Amino acid sequence: MPWPLYLAIKQLFPSGRRFPFFTAISVLGVALGVALLIVVMSVMGGFEFKIRQMIVETEGEVQVKAQGFIGDYPALVRQIDAVPGVAAATPYAGGAVMIEFNGKPAFPLIRGLDLATVGKVTQLASYVVAGSFSDLDDDSVILGSEVARMVGATVGDKIEIYSPLLIEKLKNDEVFLPREVRVAGILEIGHQQLDKSTVYCTLRLAQDLYGLGSDVHGIDVRLNAGVNEDDGAARLNAVLPAGVRAFSWMDSFSDFLWVLGLEKNMIFFLLLFIVIVAAFSVTSSLLISVVRKTREIGLLGALGGRPPQVAACFCAQGLFIGVLGTLFGLALGFGALSVRNDVVLGLARITQRQEVLERFYQFSELPAHTSAGDVAVIVFLTVSISTLAGMLPAWRAARLKPVEALRSE
Amino acid sequence: MSELVLNVRGLRKSYLSGDRRIGVLGGVDLDIAAGESISVRGESGSGKSTLLNLVAGLDVADAGTLAWCGSADTGPRRRAAFLGMVFQAFYLIPELDARANVLMAARMLGRVDAAARARADALLSRVGLAERSRHLPSQLSGGERQRVGVARALMNRPRLILADEPTGNLDERTGGAVIDLLLGLCGETQTALVLVTHNAAHAARTGRQYLLQDGLLRLLTT
Repeated sequence: MPWPLYLAIKQLFPSGRRFPFFTAISVLGVALGVALLIVVMSVMGGFEFKIRQMIVETEGEVQVKAQGFIGDYPALVRQIDAVPGVAAATPYAGGAVMIEFNGKPAFPLIRGLDLATVGKVTQLASYVVAGSFSDLDDDSVILGSEVARMVGATVGDKIEIYSPLLIEKLKNDEVFLPREVRVAGILEIGHQQLDKSTVYCTLRLAQDLYGLGSDVHGIDVRLNAGVNEDDGAARLNAVLPAGVRAFSWMDSFSDFLWVLGLEKNMIFFLLLFIVIVAAFSVTSSLLISVVRKTREIGLLGALGGRPPQVAACFCAQGLFIGVLGTLFGLALGFGALSVRNDVVLGLARITQRQEVLERFYQFSELPAHTSAGDVAVIVFLTVSISTLAGMLPAWRAARLKPVEALRSE
Repeated sequence: MSELVLNVRGLRKSYLSGDRRIGVLGGVDLDIAAGESISVRGESGSGKSTLLNLVAGLDVADAGTLAWCGSADTGPRRRAAFLGMVFQAFYLIPELDARANVLMAARMLGRVDAAARARADALLSRVGLAERSRHLPSQLSGGERQRVGVARALMNRPRLILADEPTGNLDERTGGAVIDLLLGLCGETQTALVLVTHNAAHAARTGRQYLLQDGLLRLLTT
């Protein structure tokens, strides 16, 4: 091992001493910064990941929509299925309805699903918490958990559905009775907004409620693993007929994702200052070390050390502090993430604000998703900043002349 | 005659003090052959340490020439191999134990292998510190620290050792023991020695005694 690295390690971890305080405090400062960055980036990433997961698992990665209705959808589904990168496609129809149970109304969005193909595109069945997805037929619906709670309905209850078609018929003095259906199941996605605004039924029931005949409102598409959503949508748009367009889930939520990305970047930028402040403390400690070790630096010159090697010794100390701080910070950050929900729920229980938390953040749990890219950026910046923190002391040490350093008091 | 290890001709050095230039060395000539030992005495401020620093290549002379074994290369890399230095204040690295301090000289040359470790152990044994090789400098007495310093100076089998008042911080008996060790080891290894000291008795044990006075070296005895 080159002597500058050896000496850097020995100065950080002196032989025989039980606890190197300077090193521990410097490493702790960097570690706290890294841990905070990991926690916050992961939680912010978690929101994005969770939203993506919910959308993709309930609607697929790409939606095909027309200006109006899509007629002869089976032909279009076959055309979409033939596009490279497409795993499956399923039609849907639906819109706003009013449901009523025991005089309690709710105004969710109803979505009619093609039971033969929906399982190939979505994983809705996995979100059912009561009843069964397989019990869904043309005379039943599956309610979002919050919708069910609002109207007080449970599995097996009969509810009434009023569609906009009823109003259209009334205009023509026609009587169109609300549709009475059975609650086949209750579904909970975990996003409050979705759980209180979604009802699922069969495609045929939705077509009846909206008077669509055999038309549909759109087609949900699932892509093969590894196919980028925007690329998938572009491939579909290349073959779709005029008036029909494919949108990736990111297109549909572009504003929301932009805001989320902006928040994430701003928070990253602000929290990075913690690492920078920790780096200043490393600089300060190493500068004190240079002053304290002036005669040792002179000795290194007398033993044959060159100024760049002396500089490397102090730079390496910044590097090692950065690497160790990053490793401890990662462990601390991931440790904190693993208990995040216990902490958040504990705080919510103490303050009796659990319901507010869910209402405000939409999620029943604090989501977290750590992307390898975020970790790479955090590691790279932290180690770089810490190494830079050693530069000024290194420069000071390298400038010392051995003769003067050896003479210093 | 043995090979000339050190050849100094007309070495001059002055320092600027305010507006005045103070001459310290006014043309020093010195030759030392392999295995020779010399001592340099002089009053405080006479320029003994300045001479030693110039000879070590740590400082630059205003005029004159310096050659180590006939070569004018006195750069850091050559210094590590050619020269061993012993200091009054020991200058051990406090974070390293005695063995690691001795091995530090070999590290400067990138030569830490089993042979180097064996030599460090042998040197520590030779200076009577075999049992204390894992002790930090703070756990050693002044005499023991200086003995580690001597072992470090000899680690790379240097051709020349410069000892700057090596007994200055030691009591008479311990200082005497260190000088015994220094002269003994240099004699055994045919290493040339320049001993800067205030102690006439220690100086008398070297082959030649010089007095540095008025910027010039005066030979006292041979």
